[in-house]
Amino acid sequence: MPPDHLLDDYVDPYDDPAARGHRHGPLRVGLGGPVGSGKTALAAALCRTLGAELDLAVVTNDIYTTEDADFLRRNAVLPDDRIEAVQTGCCPHTAIRDDITANLDAVELLESRHPGLELVLVESGGDNLTASFSYGLVDVQIFVVDVAGGDKVPRKGGPGVTASDLLVVNKTDLAPLVGADLDVMRRDAGAVRAGKPTLLISLREDPAATEVAGWVRQQLRSRAAQHA
Amino acid sequence: MTAALLTLADSRLPAGGHTHSGGVEQAIAAGIVHDPRSLEVFLRRRLTTAGSTAAGLAAAACRAAGRDEPRRASLARLDAEADARTPSPALRQASRQQGRGLVRVGRRAWPTAAWDDLPPHPHHPLALGVAAAAAGLGPADAAQAAAYLSITGSATAAQRLLAMDPITVATVTARLAAEVDAVGAGADQAAAGGPAPTDGEPGPAWLPAGTDPLLDLLAEVHADRDDRYFAS
Amino acid sequence: MRTLVEVVARAGPGGRTVLPVVRASGQLAVRRTGPSTVHLVATAFGPLGGDDAEVRLVVEAGARLAVRTVAAAVVLPARGESPPSVQRVRAEVAGSLDLRAEPTVVTRGAHHHALLHAQLDDDAELTATEQVQLGRVGEEPGRWTGTTRVERAGTPLLHTTVGLGPGAPAWLPPVAPRAYASTVHAGAALARATGEDAVRLPLERGWVATAWGDRLAPTLGRLALLEGAAPVEEAQ
Repeated sequence: MPPDHLLDDYVDPYDDPAARGHRHGPLRVGLGGPVGSGKTALAAALCRTLGAELDLAVVTNDIYTTEDADFLRRNAVLPDDRIEAVQTGCCPHTAIRDDITANLDAVELLESRHPGLELVLVESGGDNLTASFSYGLVDVQIFVVDVAGGDKVPRKGGPGVTASDLLVVNKTDLAPLVGADLDVMRRDAGAVRAGKPTLLISLREDPAATEVAGWVRQQLRSRAAQHA
Repeated sequence: MTAALLTLADSRLPAGGHTHSGGVEQAIAAGIVHDPRSLEVFLRRRLTTAGSTAAGLAAAACRAAGRDEPRRASLARLDAEADARTPSPALRQASRQQGRGLVRVGRRAWPTAAWDDLPPHPHHPLALGVAAAAAGLGPADAAQAAAYLSITGSATAAQRLLAMDPITVATVTARLAAEVDAVGAGADQAAAGGPAPTDGEPGPAWLPAGTDPLLDLLAEVHADRDDRYFAS
Repeated sequence: MRTLVEVVARAGPGGRTVLPVVRASGQLAVRRTGPSTVHLVATAFGPLGGDDAEVRLVVEAGARLAVRTVAAAVVLPARGESPPSVQRVRAEVAGSLDLRAEPTVVTRGAHHHALLHAQLDDDAELTATEQVQLGRVGEEPGRWTGTTRVERAGTPLLHTTVGLGPGAPAWLPPVAPRAYASTVHAGAALARATGEDAVRLPLERGWVATAWGDRLAPTLGRLALLEGAAPVEEAQ
């Protein structure tokens, strides 16, 4: 208990009016995961699938400024003014977790440019299994790993695998080629994720990322219900 | 109040500093920085020009923030002085980006009415001055923090880009401590209304205005690149 | 030694400029050399360490004034511990001012302070060029500190201080130029541009271009490229 004189005109220092406002803004979805697991391809798929029904935009944290943004322009039919690229100072990790300033600037810029924005995908730079988003930046986060990384990845854990709101195991079509056992991956993920969902997908076989898009829609609905 | 100053100058304060190299990324590309000695030279250049200018503005903003009236007008005037001292569009943007980042964290960490009197995207030294005042620090502290921050971001960026030994980079920074102190103290004196060396007229118009055209050129060339890791 | 120059330019009949005040005392004389042009003429060696010169220029609305010098100024140190020499140009401009002195050559051991403080009315025009060479041929460089402050309608447009030469804190190899040239223009905007050891930065309705190098002639050539003028042939 703080002393009485501190309670007199007590204002909760951890209550952020800006963040309260942001909960009424677009849903911010983090897309993280190791290099090459298919984050950008998943972002493009979500844009294609959800773009017709939702007002959406993307923030990229690529190593260089334009590589992912160019890919999105080509593959997601997203106009330039809906893609913001962030420079991460060689530390993609820091930019989504420890000092999220540049990403917040990018999200706020997109929000001001598109007042009706409903969904912002924040794609991290390719990182390792320990990377995760700060919830100061995103509302929910998806962690993308792939089968080619080996079926031991879910067992290894790491904050992305264990704590993300959705774990996506991509490239299931490659499983026979790399000798990965999808059942092992599903079981190991279930064991470390305390009931949070895992989706095994192949963007090659389902370029619409139907299941992941469905999960995002569900997040939008449940948030709308919370704030109703 | 030492803890507040340490917090303000801490590179881990989430104000966006880690995405700015203070010109060192382009200096490395141009071959100007390549080892600890050339890094030290670069940091000294930055400290005594951009660092000194930032320190003067931060001290003046801290003074302005500590007064009730006419705080908004004083801060707007200092923002114009910062613009006049930062003609490079790339450096202006970098400064205003970092100013906005510091306001975001500062206004929650140290709530005070002065934040509302800053322009929407203030130059970084102004945000630093207001943060210092809000945290109970004085103009000399604000100048000190600005001088120190003018080299630490560049030092870390060089460490990352050149894969330098972090202990060596820490040594480079530590060896500049006396000069950082001197630059901060000199800028604080100027902000207190000391006479300008060549002019004799006191006042905020004659705050330090140290400029290095090389840094302007590096910043503008850097801004045109699409293969950069850092925002500036 | 204290020097004072005062020139007032006023709009006269038929759109011409008259110069009701043209006076000088100390080490500079001033001569009217054209309808709206004056030349400053040094009447002694120097400036010397410790010398103090002030040039006050007033260009009233509708008037034009061009200020030139007849020869390079060679800054020499005073004997012993030489204090800096100082030259301040203070200009109040409602019309149009064009300021371009011949180069300042700062010899070994000398330290020259140059200050330009221009206060412009909202629609005034200013073009001011500074040319500096540290050291004569084969000589160690001297030191130069230049401050430029331009205000338009009370708002600062540009305020910079550049220090060159041994002892200037940011004059550090490998970028320690012995030649430096800069032009500030208020009137018409130009976009930013970069060159080899040269950069042009935009100001609101104006620009500032700067170039540096080892020798002044090629430096002026690179500056001219950014001023939109034809390149100057390099003098050998």
